[in-house]
Amino acid sequence: MLHARIDGWATATIAHPSLKGQKIVFCTPVDDEGKDAGMPIAAVDPIGAGRHARVFITTDGSWSRDTVHDATSPIRNQVIGILD
Amino acid sequence: MKPGRVIGTVTLSQGAPQFRGARWLVVSPMGKDELTGTNAGLSRASTPVVYDNIGAGVGDEILYVEGAEATQPFPDPIPLDAINVAILDHHAYAPPS
Repeated sequence: MLHARIDGWATATIAHPSLKGQKIVFCTPVDDEGKDAGMPIAAVDPIGAGRHARVFITTDGSWSRDTVHDATSPIRNQVIGILD
Repeated sequence: MKPGRVIGTVTLSQGAPQFRGARWLVVSPMGKDELTGTNAGLSRASTPVVYDNIGAGVGDEILYVEGAEATQPFPDPIPLDAINVAILDHHAYAPPS
């Protein structure tokens, strides 16, 4: 699990079919104090986190495949929680 | 998934049989400066070669997946580390200042 901040979004018409209809966000990993800690990554966001929200991201591909109901999905990163 | 800009392609004269007909992209990973548009050129990160079956070209911005999940779309085992999963139409990136 990664602790990250939502910093942007992306749209893609041409993509793996399992990304169809999914919201794609850019997240910047942050450390415990909220400072940036790494290169931005993209994640699927099924829960609708807002701009600059602090979130948890899973990098578990098998869990992501289950949630998109597609065993051939290469998707790994998914927003799974918004920090209060 | 990581964002990257396609800066070239690779062709193979010899390859594993699973790679017959494969397209390969040379990708410059996009960091903060590239996503915000501050740097329109290459990033400092090393450039992976990415399998492509959705048709990205040089200059496109893509999302690619690295690791074991890259092989998930294939029915049979394939020695693959990175795959292109999306060609970006639009994106925005604005970290808090």
